[in-house]
Amino acid sequence: MFEVIEWFVFIIGLILITIGAICDLAGALGLVRFPNFFVRLHAATVGTIGGAVIPLFGIALVSAVSSQLGPFRWTVAGGAVIAAFLIMIIAPAGSHALAYAAHKAKVVPVEPKVCDLLEEHEKRKAKGAEKK
Amino acid sequence: MLDIYLPIIFAVFLAAFTLYIIRIVKGPSVVDMALAVDCLAFDLAVFIGLLTLYFNTPFLIIGAIALALWAYILDIYIAKYFVRREVGE
Repeated sequence: MFEVIEWFVFIIGLILITIGAICDLAGALGLVRFPNFFVRLHAATVGTIGGAVIPLFGIALVSAVSSQLGPFRWTVAGGAVIAAFLIMIIAPAGSHALAYAAHKAKVVPVEPKVCDLLEEHEKRKAKGAEKK
Repeated sequence: MLDIYLPIIFAVFLAAFTLYIIRIVKGPSVVDMALAVDCLAFDLAVFIGLLTLYFNTPFLIIGAIALALWAYILDIYIAKYFVRREVGE
């Protein structure tokens, strides 16, 4: 019974690692092929959340049932889970900071644009400062 | 099982690394390069985890945590430089 559960967890971990590899390749292709920075952010998020968080959870599952690591398998599983949670918090925060900085410093043109509320807000604020 | 299966995953990850490095070299602006370095660092963390499983050396995984935090520091410093035009403390 216990061996069946271990085998099941092992297969689920391998499936998660495979999904991560496919997402990673898709994210890298998008990062090369997409036309400008704000569109590339989308592909980068596929590459970080799909390509780094999911395979780290898979590594944690696989290492928790691999007996050749001995008692150190919990070291590997714990480290992988901690790294996965850190990346899950860090990657969106970092890409939001980069997008805000690129918009504010006007490094790249905001190019498929329907309406830009942040730019309008800053213009309104500058006008208000001039009136005072 | 892992000895046969993990090299296939390694090949996919190495192809993704090559594409990220193309974007780092080509990148028209600095923020593009920073974004690509960010993705490359997170994927290197995963690659370290896979190498841990492949070589059965449990202490490699500790490097993954430091690598993830390093990529975040790079992002924050570049963003702060662009917004304030200074690096800060």
